[in-house]
Formats: sequence, structure tokens, C-alpha cells
Amino acid sequence: MTHAHHHATGLPDDETAGVSEAPGVSKVGEISVVDVHKSFGATKALDGCTFNAHLGEIHAVIGGNGSGKSTLVKVLSGVLPIDSGQVSVLGHTPRSPYDARDIGIATVFQEVLVADESSIVDNLYLGTDSLWSHALPAREKVRSAAALMQELVGVKVDVEASVGTLPLSIKQRITIGRALLCKPKVLILDESSAALDLESTERLFAKMRALRDEGLAILIVTHRIAELTRISDRATVLRDGQDVGVLEKQEITEQNLLGLITGESGTGHVPTTAVRDVSSSQVVIKTKEIKVWPRAEGVDFSLHKGEVLGITGLDGQGHSEFVTILAGIAMAAHSLPLVKTDDGPFAEIRGLADADKYGIAYVSGDRKREGIFANLSIFENLLMPLFRRTAKAGKLAIIDWPTLSAAFDWEAKRLSVRMAARDNKITSLSGGNQQKILIGRAFALNPDILILNDPARGIDVGAKGELYEDLSAYAARGKSIIYLSSEIEEFLGFCTRVLVFRHGSVFEEFSDDEIDPDRILEAMFGKSRHARTAPVTQAEPNAKAAASPPRWRKLWASFTADMAESLWGEPPKEMTAPRPEVKFVDAIPDAESETDGLPKKIKVVDFSEAVGR
Amino acid sequence: MTKAAGSSTSKTYLLVPIILFFALLIVAVLRSPNLLTSAGLGSAVIVATPLILATYALTTLAIAGRVSIDLSVGPLIGFINVILVQLYGADIISGPVPFFLVAFLLGMAYQLLMGLIIVFVRVQPIIVSLSGYLALSGINLVILERPGGTVPEWMSSWGLGISVFSPVAAILVLSTIAWILFSRSAFFGHLRLMGSDERAAYASGVRIGIVRLGAHVVAGIYAALSSLTFTALIGSGDPSQGTTYTLIAVTALVLGGTSLVGGRGGAIGSLLGAASIYLIGFVLATFKFGSVQSFVTDLSYGVILVLSLLLTVVLPRIRRWFGVFHRCCCSSLCPSSRAV
Repeated sequence: MTHAHHHATGLPDDETAGVSEAPGVSKVGEISVVDVHKSFGATKALDGCTFNAHLGEIHAVIGGNGSGKSTLVKVLSGVLPIDSGQVSVLGHTPRSPYDARDIGIATVFQEVLVADESSIVDNLYLGTDSLWSHALPAREKVRSAAALMQELVGVKVDVEASVGTLPLSIKQRITIGRALLCKPKVLILDESSAALDLESTERLFAKMRALRDEGLAILIVTHRIAELTRISDRATVLRDGQDVGVLEKQEITEQNLLGLITGESGTGHVPTTAVRDVSSSQVVIKTKEIKVWPRAEGVDFSLHKGEVLGITGLDGQGHSEFVTILAGIAMAAHSLPLVKTDDGPFAEIRGLADADKYGIAYVSGDRKREGIFANLSIFENLLMPLFRRTAKAGKLAIIDWPTLSAAFDWEAKRLSVRMAARDNKITSLSGGNQQKILIGRAFALNPDILILNDPARGIDVGAKGELYEDLSAYAARGKSIIYLSSEIEEFLGFCTRVLVFRHGSVFEEFSDDEIDPDRILEAMFGKSRHARTAPVTQAEPNAKAAASPPRWRKLWASFTADMAESLWGEPPKEMTAPRPEVKFVDAIPDAESETDGLPKKIKVVDFSEAVGR
Repeated sequence: MTKAAGSSTSKTYLLVPIILFFALLIVAVLRSPNLLTSAGLGSAVIVATPLILATYALTTLAIAGRVSIDLSVGPLIGFINVILVQLYGADIISGPVPFFLVAFLLGMAYQLLMGLIIVFVRVQPIIVSLSGYLALSGINLVILERPGGTVPEWMSSWGLGISVFSPVAAILVLSTIAWILFSRSAFFGHLRLMGSDERAAYASGVRIGIVRLGAHVVAGIYAALSSLTFTALIGSGDPSQGTTYTLIAVTALVLGGTSLVGGRGGAIGSLLGAASIYLIGFVLATFKFGSVQSFVTDLSYGVILVLSLLLTVVLPRIRRWFGVFHRCCCSSLCPSSRAV
């Protein structure tokens, strides 16, 4: 309506240098951002950013870490005020999230924003009611919330249960559902598929296409280039807070995107490290008949020295629990993991203290809850574990600042962290840079076994490549790495072995040449290469160490595990134990998925077990 | 059906307050059967009501999150009390309507001021309420130097507690019903979600500033009601007596299962929590500890508070063990569950 007179002229030329000018790019869209600046202290998050999008298109915003993508999203949704420039969405300028909602903008933020104490239905309808009156009767809300969650999750969910105990992926779907429920005209998704598995991502994409065809503008911010090339109609690339290019549908290729993101003709992100044969080297950690859940099958597994082991699976198949068990954070339902000690025999890992003692470090992908200390500086966040180790004067433990400073400079340079001052709070960094700091923290400990739980979540391709190189180099020094990821492309040329989890146990194992995305994907969906084989890895018998611990120890362990659980808020056992039977049948109605060779499956869920208990 | 299931999962925090309340009630009745007579209950209501209403005031703010524990509730009760008594003494007000109006006005104005400071100056709520506590404690002594003054005839008759059906009981019942209605409003929904996660609420378009101010206004109304019933109870003005309500009201709040971090709490829990505090004092009074009576009472508040918090930790564990046991039996009986 009135947006045209705001900025009838075209884009400022100097800001759009290097744009691959496609027809229609300079046309002002229903969503327009012109020459916007936004700084946080010394950090310039947006530095003259211009952006245009239209109704009825899926428009991707892409860029490296700290390129200003998330800031742009927050500006468009009224969360952040701008320093200068113009923002217009459907003719209005959103000044608060409340305004944005009024205009018809719904945003799913990178941070998974849910109210933990409240129920799913309350979280879905958060912000829907006006100040004094309900938008819908409670019964109505429950009914449509249940239908929506079924659509988003694929299984029935008790929408009146509290959100706090749910896994991250479900919480993310709640935030997506919340955005869909306001029937927006503009839907903004900031890294919203980060916590989703492949199948749910497909479901989300199908929904996005349907909404686009209804005339919505959908803005997506994502790091997953493979996804982006499939879903988006246009893409705007940001670098250092400026827009550096707009790509039309046919131009959106991995190479074009990488070229614009890095500012040079980039190479693919697939690392080319030679895979080493480590199967004959020493075993450093192993498990025998370890059970992730009381009713899951036991996992026999061993990790060799210098090995990079990939672990994957669909959401909630126990792989995430398995790595936390190895790291001593969670307790297995049965048996304990065994780790090689310096003086020979294997020792049990009963908790974090043991894990630390035997050189196991853990990096979580959920940096907000399990990674950063939000109110401490970048420096403290990176070097926290070194304060004690490098301390001088024995028991007095005086902090050795010069050594720490040197260590900080070295690590920050190696990880190429984009930051202003090292004493700034870690929250001043972009999400990807925060994750770099956390990985740096683990490196600083120089662990023998490094366990990473989806560390690349929210990291740009450039940083990912560096991370793989760092990890490969680390493994080459005789250290072992366990790497959990839901993006299977990450395993290529990087892992020596990949375990695929299903129903809380190892379903399939791939090594060296067998590591192939399609086959891994098929295994994730339950399609075996050959008839199901019994235990994949042969662990040498070590009866003494594997003998069950004394009874009091078990009780104490279960108590401490409960304490950890109450701190961590892991899903209680009631939620994880009964698993519905899931089968897959061929056929998928969506024609567009042919480009990536995804298996065409439809999930058929048998609820008799989960519900009828 | 689904509604019942939902409320049972979201209200499990009430389990401990209910157990505690009935345990104390049984002990109290055994020690003094007189409690269950009309006069016994009547006087119990008169004594417990100011505390219950003060706890309601705290509950509203605690739900709003950011650890909003209103420490100034006690001095505020005293503040309204001394102003009412002085105004009556100066013959400016005498009837029930002016009394209520002045009390509401003072309570809401004070809480609104606190709310504005918290929302716009962005000071931690607990710091603001601590400042309020200290400031009001002093102001009360300026307004009324030492206990004294009188209240009108109609009000002093409230404090007799001869029968259950007293005006104070009516205030208590109406306030509780009002709280329950309030807890079903859309406004309360915003309040609860804001307390549970303020960022999520803000980002989803809830006007958190207005919601927080609204919570303060509601708390002001309940503080005013608490002060009115307190004035009726003591029948005079007292600049320092009200201050003691702060700590026991916070204790009652915690006993009632309200989360101090925000997002969880309600009238029933706070009612039970405050009633339990009253019963603890009542039971201990039957033992006649003499000069150490008040020390023993305070000690018991503390011990019972810790025990009830322990119970909240232990109860879900017991339930879970029971649940695991239950499921094991079911799975062994049901052969289809192991089919892969």
C-alpha cells in the first residue's frame, strides 16, 4: 500500500557492488530493507545492508558466521531497533515483536524460544491471545494444537504435557508451529531446520512450498547449502553485514553461493583428508552390552587410537544418549563404558570425574544450555578449564595470565573467531563463533578422546572445513574422535567409520569406502545392506572390568544420574522408553525430492505399544 | 477427559502442599478439637486471612518471573494500616467505602511505582522490593511513632471471630474466587508464559511491559485487602507489626509450591501454604513453650520448609520407581511388546 514512496529509487550502487544483476532484482519488494546499519558496541552486525523479497517466494538469506543474517532477521521481526536505514514490511515498519505480529510477520528464531514450565498448547498459542481476552476457547486450542503437532512431528503428542522435558527437536517444532498458527503473511525461519532430522526437514519443506503457493513470503536463513539449493526461489548473500549478491533460482548452486559467501571462488566443503587405516591400532574406549534404554539392545563397540568415528541416526534413536554415556554425562541403563588408562587395564567411566581423569572431552551442539557461560567473557569461556591447570604457586593457584593470554591468542587465531575484544561477553559473538569457542575449549584440554555432539550445528561452511581439518590433524596426532552429526555429508572423507543408530542400538556400520551418503541415509531409515547381523564390533572379552559394579555403587550411580538429569532436564525415562513401532513403505507424493536421491518413504507408525500401556 | 489429564500433569506441584496441609490439620485437630467449632474456625480465619492475602499478592509477582519476590509486602501492609488509622484519627475517613478506596489506592499506587521502576529502569525486582522494604519500614515509623490509634466500630467488630461467617471470611472467599477467575483469564496466560520465559514471550509479541505492570497492580489490590483484614485483626495502628509478614508470607509462598523463578503457582497452593503456616503456629501454641515460643515457631517454619522442599524432590522419584515397576509387569505380560 504505502511502501512505494519510502524508497522509490533503486539501490545505492556502492552497496551492491559485485551483485550478479539478475532481472527484477532492483525492483522493490513487499519486504524491503534499505541501507540498514546496526552495531553492537564495536561490532558492526549490519553495515549498510539492503534486502528485497516478494510475497509468494521462498527467499534464502545466506552468509558466513557473523555476516549479519540473524541480525537482519531480528530487525525484520522488530526485536532489534536499527541505528539507521529503512525497513518496510507490507508497508509498515515493525518496531516491536507485537507490531510485527500485527503486520503479519511470524519469526522462528535461531534460539529455540519456548517457555519450559508451560504446556505445548500454551507455547503454541503464545502471543495469540489479546491482552484481556482469549483468541480461542481452551478446548479449541487443544484440538488444533494436537492436529498441528501431529502434522509437524509425525506422531501423536500429548499437547498438554509440559515442554521442559521434551528433546530440542520437538521444541524447535513447537516454535515453528507457533509461527504457522498466527497465519502470517511473512514467515521468517532462522536456522529452523538445525535441530530437525532429514525426514522432518522434508516435511517442513513441503509445508513451506504449500505456504508459498498460498502467497506467503518465506524467508529462510540456513547454513545447509544442500537444503537451500533445493528449496529457495531466490537467495541473498550477506558478508560482513552487507548484501553481496542476489541469486535467482537457476543460479543457486553450491559453487555460486560459496563464491559469494567467502568472497572468492570457493571449493567444496568436502574435506579431502586421506583416510588412515587404524583398525589395527590400540582400542582406547569400548563398551560391552551397554544399553541406552532399559529395553534397547546392547551396544558392543570399540574405538581405536587415531580414529575418527561418525555416529548418526534419525532423531531420538539413542545415538545422542549414547555419546553422552561415553562422555560420562549420562548413565546407561545397563553396564558402563570402559576406557584405556595409561598404565594398561581398562577402567570404568562412572561419571564426569572419571571421564575427565581419563582424558575424555565433550562438546555439545546445544551451546545455549550445555555450552556457553552466557555472562562470562569470550576469554573465560575459551580457557575456563585451563585456569586451574596452568595456575602457579601450588595450592595458592595464582592464575597465570601471560600463559593464558598466549594460549588464547593462539586458539582464537587457529579457529579464526570473529570478535571485537576478548573481554566482551560470549553472547556478543554470533552463534557459529560461540560454537568455535566451545570447540576451542575442548582442544585446549588436549584430550585423548574428543566427543562432539553435533558440533557443526549453526556453523558456516568455511568454518566447517576448518573444523574438519583441525579434527583430522588432531586425530593424526594419535587422538581419537567421536563425531555425532545429523548431516551425513559431513562424514565423507573425514570419518574412518560411521555407526548408524536405530531403536537405541547400532543398526549398521560403514567403514572407509563404504561411507556413502545414500547408503547411510537408507540405513538411518531402517533399510539394511544385508540381513540384520548381530553385534557389529567384536570387543575382546575382559570379564573382570566388565563385571557388574557392586550394588551400592549402582544405587549411588542411579542417584547421581538422576541429579544430573534434573540439572540437565533430559527427557525422563517414561518418555524415551516406549518406542512406537515405525515401518516405512515406498512412495512419497512430493515430486521435488528427486534431485537429492532421498529414499522415498512414508512413515507408518504403530501406536498400540506406545499408547496402550 | 483430556482436560482432566492436562490439569493433573500441570498441577502435580500441589501434591506436597496438600499433604502438608492435611497432615498439619490432623495434628492440630488432635491437639485441640476446639479448632473445628464455629468459633474456633472463625478465629482461625481472622488470624490467617491477612497472611493468606499477602501470599496471594506475592504469588502474582512470583509468577511474573525474574525472581520477583516482593519483600516489601510486609511494610506495605503496615504502611496502609498506619495511614488508615491516622486518617480515621483525623476524622477524614470513617465508613467502609472510603477505607477500602484508600487502601486500594495506596496498594495499587505503590505497586505501580515499583512496577514502573522495574520495567523502565530495569533494576532487578528483588532490589527494588528490598529498597521498598527499607523505605517503607522507616516511613511507617514517621507516620505513626508507636502502636496506637483505633479503628471504627464496624471494623473492630470484624476482628472478634465469634463465628465462621464473618466479613473477613467473606473477603477471603471472594478474594480466592477472584484469584481463580483471574487465573483463567488471557492476561494470566500471558503472565505465566512471561514468567516461564520472558524472551520467548517478548519475541512472540506479548507486551511484557504492560503484563508486568498489570501483575503489580493485582498484587497491590491483594496487599490492600491483606492490610484491611490485618487492621481489623489488631484493631489499631502498628508501624512495625506488618513488617513481620514479609518473611512468613515468602515461606508460605514456597510451601505452596510456587516457583520463585516464575511461571508456576496459583491460589490453591498459596492458600494451602499460608494455612499450613498458620497451623504450624497453632499446633506449637498448644505445647506451651513459654518464653521460647517464638523461637520454636520460627525454627519449625524453617525445618518444615526444608522438609517440604525435600519431599518435592523425593516424590517424583518414588512415582517414577513405581512407574518403572508397573511397566515391567505390563511388558512381561504383554508378548507383543517385544516383537521387532
